[in-house]
Amino acid sequence: MPGAAISPGIPTIAEAARQIAAKQLSPVELTRACLDRVRKLDDQLHAFVLVTEERALAEARQAEAAIMAGGPRGPLHGIPIGLKDIVDTKGIPTTCGSKILQDNIPDADAACAETLAAAGTVLIGKTTTHEFADGGPSFDLPKPPARNPWNTEHFTAGSSSGTGAAIAAGLVLGGIGTDTGGSIRGPAALCGIAGIKPTYGLVSRAGVAPAAFSLDHIGPMAWTAEDCALMLQALAGYDPRDPASADRPVPNYTAALGTGIKGLKIGVIHHFHEVDYKVSEGTQRGIDGAISTLHDLGAEIREVQVSPMQDWQACGSLISMTERAAAYEEWARTRLGDFSERVQRRLMLGALVSGVDYVQAVRRRRELRAELKAAMAGLDIVLTAAAPAEAPKIDNVPVWDMFDRPSFTIPFNVAGYPAISVCGGYGEGGLPVAVQLVAKPFAEPTLFRVADAFEKATPYRNTRPALA
Amino acid sequence: MPADISNETLDFLLARAGLDLTPAQKEELKSVYAGIAAMADRVRKPRGIMAEPAHAYGFNEENL
Repeated sequence: MPGAAISPGIPTIAEAARQIAAKQLSPVELTRACLDRVRKLDDQLHAFVLVTEERALAEARQAEAAIMAGGPRGPLHGIPIGLKDIVDTKGIPTTCGSKILQDNIPDADAACAETLAAAGTVLIGKTTTHEFADGGPSFDLPKPPARNPWNTEHFTAGSSSGTGAAIAAGLVLGGIGTDTGGSIRGPAALCGIAGIKPTYGLVSRAGVAPAAFSLDHIGPMAWTAEDCALMLQALAGYDPRDPASADRPVPNYTAALGTGIKGLKIGVIHHFHEVDYKVSEGTQRGIDGAISTLHDLGAEIREVQVSPMQDWQACGSLISMTERAAAYEEWARTRLGDFSERVQRRLMLGALVSGVDYVQAVRRRRELRAELKAAMAGLDIVLTAAAPAEAPKIDNVPVWDMFDRPSFTIPFNVAGYPAISVCGGYGEGGLPVAVQLVAKPFAEPTLFRVADAFEKATPYRNTRPALA
Repeated sequence: MPADISNETLDFLLARAGLDLTPAQKEELKSVYAGIAAMADRVRKPRGIMAEPAHAYGFNEENL
């Protein structure tokens, strides 16, 4: 197995929370350990565009004093995190990875930044993103793209690239990503961590730069599914500032962890990863291993069929490129040359999609959602790949991949269903491969239950990248 | 939807979008037009009348 035995210096959020509550771990020391790793490794990883060291140490000291006086506010109290640099942070630059916003300092926190701060997290810094969460890796931006901690010659995927790299290398214990077509689950898959795109509307998008309004999701990324559940507990909830926010009760996301998965029904969309776009041998082995593990844990495995991945890709891509062109229309008209070459290309595409194409895509989305709903009747979870293979070399990422290769993640942005990527082992090159699990809307407790059971039944959470 | 796009049509679409592209960018855009056309064809499947881009207003007391 690649990598090195897990460093005792990099706890999970759950482990750190238990030790902090028992006063066996100091949030200040934990923060210092993360900052030390940032200093040691980030010249290679480029996971951060800004490190907020002074603020982090001040927040850690505050957390420590409060915990010593009255115990932790919750499991995130004193936990070091990173925020993707499209998340507004009051008084701290939020550049969206773009030349255009180099001087942007928001006067308010985004909702997700606010809720994580209220939960007592410690902000280590702003993490690298593809420009406006699209189109990377780009080498013509103010900051270089993040690199994969498992092999720094390789890509992290994006757009939540810095968050993925930082968590895998132990620079932070958790972080925020955003996901319009796979920008949480892609980096989670390639960096060997867990990342969940929650149900559309579950986490407020207020204060986060848009990519494509009707496909945008905010969600947590962390080393384990359990850690994602702990973070989602703080993040989920109604927010009138987000017009798509879902007004419904927030369940306990960790209550069902460890209760087993016996009798749960899991459908495998074999044709996605075996026919529509055949994954690498390593990824296929990871998927087969996951199915076998889940079966051994007592789940009932079935086969599921939906429309080909290319249909989902067409629907999601047409909606995405049109909504993105609308969101950035003014700058595309007046400052196109200030975007990276890759984002210029993405914005140009909007001109080729007619209003009628867009409406037809939205109509097709309604049908595809109905199809998935019907396919999942009687099932708890569906499973497929999260990425087609291990991470490619960072200098070998196609510019127009959306036309060459359908995405395994975008179907669940189109549907709005919650989906998590978990590490499913390692491929031929020694880099992580991943499995994607999908639940019904607002069934995140079931999703975490299955993902956590899988992680705890496999050895993949015991190994960090060697450089960490 | 045709898989090719003429220079004139592309210029019209770009002008409508307000985008000022270099000749190289225009050529690149033409080279991927077939991909967009294929996507546009894929979303035009036979469908029932309920497949509409419906949305819901969250009418609550504040709005009334």
